[in-house]
Amino acid sequence: MAKLRHIAIAAKDPDAMADFYVKAFDFKIVRSNDGPLAYGHHLSDGTIDLAILRFKTDQLGRGMDYTGLHHFGVLVEDVEKAGKKLESLGGKHYMDQAEAERIGGFEVKFYGPEGILFDVAEHPWTGTEPLPVERAKEAAE
Amino acid sequence: MPKLRHIAIAAEDPDAMAEFYKKAFDFVEVGRPNGVLADGVFLSDGTLNMAILKFKTDQLGKGMDYRGIHHFGVLVEDVEEFSKKLESLGAQHYIDQGQGGHQAGYFEKKFYGPERILFDIAEHGWAGAEPLPAPMKDAAE
Repeated sequence: MAKLRHIAIAAKDPDAMADFYVKAFDFKIVRSNDGPLAYGHHLSDGTIDLAILRFKTDQLGRGMDYTGLHHFGVLVEDVEKAGKKLESLGGKHYMDQAEAERIGGFEVKFYGPEGILFDVAEHPWTGTEPLPVERAKEAAE
Repeated sequence: MPKLRHIAIAAEDPDAMAEFYKKAFDFVEVGRPNGVLADGVFLSDGTLNMAILKFKTDQLGKGMDYRGIHHFGVLVEDVEEFSKKLESLGAQHYIDQGQGGHQAGYFEKKFYGPERILFDIAEHGWAGAEPLPAPMKDAAE
């Protein structure tokens, strides 16, 4: 089964917001970056990536001043296969991540019903748990 | 460490949206909440509860027609202890919910964090969500 592994928040001040969740819940900052899509911090609870980002483009069509929950991400076994399935169900492909940025982040973005934005990836987000099948393989090796 | 165990989406048609995610990612339906705050469908990926809800009140101040990712929830060991900690960090308490009868398996307290991001905390957990990992001491016994 695919796994929810990423929640992204659109923030005006990602530094202050990340600091709050680090102090509140002991989440760890596992990656900070300033890329073409966003500036911000990725926190991990050991399982899920909580990304606190100042976006540089209006991915939701709500304007650049939107703050709030932004999108989620699902870890899948096979991104190509998942992409075909999503399109067959009416999901709309939005964009692909640049090849160099794919490891540790999203790979493909889709809009689902009612324009809800979500990512799919087959490489785990940095600091998150792999799919159970991968974990079993690692344990066996 | 507390764990992210809940993500809620505000939907116009929770049934249709839930069908999409069940088919797309094999998420399993684990409940049909019908309360004073929202109606909808609870899905699970085995770790998180994904609530697809039609809200009955405007919790975010973004209007009743807001559609999108709405809030997230964190499973903690002790709701009272974390409430105090959150308030000391500047979070604003919003509402509480009892855990008796049909209210079990939901949030326990809602807070607004920085930039009025809404999140829940709970110590009993959401339907279909994984409990907190056993403390090392218990695991060793």
